[in-house]
Amino acid sequence: MIMESRRTFGLLLALVMTFAITPLIAILIYTFVGNGVLDFSQLGRMFASNRLWETLGNSLLLGVFVICGTTLIALPMALIRTKTSLSKYNWLDIVLTIPFMTPPYIGSMGWILFMQANGFLQQMIPGTAWMSESFFSLFGMVMIMSLHLFPFLYLLLRNALLRINGSFIDAALVFGRSPWKNWFKIILPLLTSSYILGILLIFIKTLAEFGTPATFGSRIGFKVFTTEIHSYLSKWPVDIRMATSLSLFLLSVCLIVWYMQNLLGRKYTYGILSGKTPAVRERKDKWQISLISWLFTSIILLLAIGIPYFSIIVTSLQKVRGNGLSAGNFNFDAYREVFTSDSAGFAAFMNSIAFSVITAIATAIIGLCIALYIKKANTKKQRLLDFFSLTPNIIPGIVFVVGLIMFWNAPWLPATIYNTKAMVVVAYCVLFLPYSVQYTKSSLSQLDESIFQSASIFGRNSWHVYRHILIPLLMPGILAGMMMTFIISMRELVAGLLILPPSVDTGATYIYSQFEQGNASLGMAVAVVTVIMTVVFMFLLDWLQRRGERANA
Amino acid sequence: MIKNRIKMMAVAGAALTFVLTGCSGEQSKKGSEQASAKPKEEQILTVYSAGPDGLAENLEKAFEEKTGKKIEMFGGTTGKILSRLEAEKNNPVADVVVLASAASMDGLKESDQLQAYKAENADKINADWSDKDGYYYGYSASALGIAYNTKNVKDAPKKWSDLAKPEWKDKMNMPDPSLSGSALDFIFGYTGADKTAWKTIESWKKNGLQVNGANKEALESVITGNKDATISGVDYMAYKAKADGEPVEIVYPESGTVVSPRSVGIVKEAKNVEDAKAYVDFLLSDEGQKLVTDAYLLPGNQDIPVNNRVALKDIPQLEVDWKGAEQKQIDILTKFNDMFQ
Repeated sequence: MIMESRRTFGLLLALVMTFAITPLIAILIYTFVGNGVLDFSQLGRMFASNRLWETLGNSLLLGVFVICGTTLIALPMALIRTKTSLSKYNWLDIVLTIPFMTPPYIGSMGWILFMQANGFLQQMIPGTAWMSESFFSLFGMVMIMSLHLFPFLYLLLRNALLRINGSFIDAALVFGRSPWKNWFKIILPLLTSSYILGILLIFIKTLAEFGTPATFGSRIGFKVFTTEIHSYLSKWPVDIRMATSLSLFLLSVCLIVWYMQNLLGRKYTYGILSGKTPAVRERKDKWQISLISWLFTSIILLLAIGIPYFSIIVTSLQKVRGNGLSAGNFNFDAYREVFTSDSAGFAAFMNSIAFSVITAIATAIIGLCIALYIKKANTKKQRLLDFFSLTPNIIPGIVFVVGLIMFWNAPWLPATIYNTKAMVVVAYCVLFLPYSVQYTKSSLSQLDESIFQSASIFGRNSWHVYRHILIPLLMPGILAGMMMTFIISMRELVAGLLILPPSVDTGATYIYSQFEQGNASLGMAVAVVTVIMTVVFMFLLDWLQRRGERANA
Repeated sequence: MIKNRIKMMAVAGAALTFVLTGCSGEQSKKGSEQASAKPKEEQILTVYSAGPDGLAENLEKAFEEKTGKKIEMFGGTTGKILSRLEAEKNNPVADVVVLASAASMDGLKESDQLQAYKAENADKINADWSDKDGYYYGYSASALGIAYNTKNVKDAPKKWSDLAKPEWKDKMNMPDPSLSGSALDFIFGYTGADKTAWKTIESWKKNGLQVNGANKEALESVITGNKDATISGVDYMAYKAKADGEPVEIVYPESGTVVSPRSVGIVKEAKNVEDAKAYVDFLLSDEGQKLVTDAYLLPGNQDIPVNNRVALKDIPQLEVDWKGAEQKQIDILTKFNDMFQ
């Protein structure tokens, strides 16, 4: 078929290499080559710093805890959403993605404002001081990050569970022994491959997370690796070589984790979607199950969205921050300022949308091609491409961006996109390509071999196979990837801070600069507007998708 | 099938609209973008400024109105600007650099990244804040004091050592010197001029001093009532918050405090030297200085009256020598970090 020729491989490889690998090489060179000679002294400097091991340990510990936290939230949630009466509320999916859409910087600021001494909680319910103290600890940080990252895992698990419906469930009901046995022996193992992929990404996202550790972590004295790297790049004295060597170290750690995931994942991948009875049954639950699911969902929504957004919205409405929650302290000034015609906030917001849409479309197309080539990553070439396309996901965004800057500033380049808006789009595409590849790959991996086989027998030609069979089957995965890319690129902060051309702001960098130097209320107002718009957009996309599905069925 | 088509076209249409809205806003900028990417174009002036943002924007607008020249501005903290300059060494973009740390500016001069320029009005500018060879000029300064929450605090602190008293236990913070240039300047100046400084800092630590965040974050903590006072609070931020109605005030202990100069310099490899010189002149002119005072900063030109704040002559100052400070600051920072580990 088209995607298997040698030419395709060469093309894809070249594309991925230029944009994804060259920054890494630039970093390598910058770290190890001083004044034109190979120089490994940097490694010595790095390992001599005892902060290295402390922050690394912290990062890994945080990663493990957040995996537990997100599993605790995402797994029951996915089950509730697919197995109980809540499965008909499709809007829940979009609402559940809101925590992930919130720029992490803002989310943790919301929690801090709520829980701190004299914060909103204590203003509303005096006597809750003990809660604040226990919250400002590693537990609080894990909680915030789990509530922020769980939608990621939830979407993967839910998609997997949805595909398991059908003939497997029927077979289990007919031949299985008891519901519990069905659970442990059939359904959970089938989920394993998606789960392992999910927790790998969560682990790495936690390792790469910057916003929450920078705001919350600094309050509790919990330093992580990314804040270390970031500080070498943005506080004085600036030490880019230390930053690049630290990121190489982080990269190796992530590589090891990724390799383990690959081994496990390949063992547990099963073809699930076999094109037979995708029945979705109407469910009537026992009242206990209904109660528990509703309770669980409400608590999660309250914690993940209710509390941080309460702080965010209240702050955006406050007139005088020092007066806290008192009557008459609220107005819409901040919003009015955002929506005036020449407002910098509005321009920043439109920039974000433009960048994100272009990125989503570009990565969807490239990701589809790559995923179709990789399939199950059996040959060496496939595995190579798989690895390369995943690299942006396993190193912190900031490091990648530094590499991009180094590379595109190299003196021997004939032309450069540095300092233009094109560079921002390229950076975003590179940073977020893995998402679309992974989502599409995950959908693809659940296609049973029989589909390919019947396609090659009955399909007219390969183009026909792609257009009428594969792509429609993969469309939910592709669209999910596009939505995810859109959301993530809307909230991307660190990359923007470093490579935006002068006089250009994205929504996230504008919010950040309001917090650093300007008006916190204004920053919060733009954050609220951004999230509302993103949610509206997602509802639109979802509605279109469902209309399409109904038309097809 | 047809419905499928309609659906796809709707999505494509929506996406296209977004892109076009973004693009139309981009069109005018794209043109100037191409210009700044090519080395030969001279019309655009690129300024890297450590802010404050409001002041930087006002200066940009006023300059563009007055001279008709276009400015592209990158705003960030001193650290980020230095990092960007370092990364762009092979392909310099900036023409003018405006930093919030005298030591870093001096460091740039030492590493031969600035060019000298005899600006107009140079004689009116505070000589302590500027370089005698004209490599950089201290166009403004901020004084660092103790910013406190007027709702929670009835007795304003008078001495640095007051904050070691029991009534301040766990109630004060300080910006992290690794993030805040002014906090680092404060520690550097304080420990350099006052022999008992390290002891006082130790006593603060015992009294529960929280060291974290950049300037604004530390001040926010005080404004929202989370903490009662910020050591090394940046004056213009406190005055701006006060003018917005927040319950905050700033005092300067009699034993003296650090006044941190903020300077402007022209990059050695600047492409647009002519406009860069005009920009420096503008900052030092009466008009530019007036904008500086509007932002509650101390003006480099002493003759310009300050706006609703304590003037330079009323601030008890510690003697600080900023020459060669960059290297010494590294040692100070290490010592401080070790203490607060």
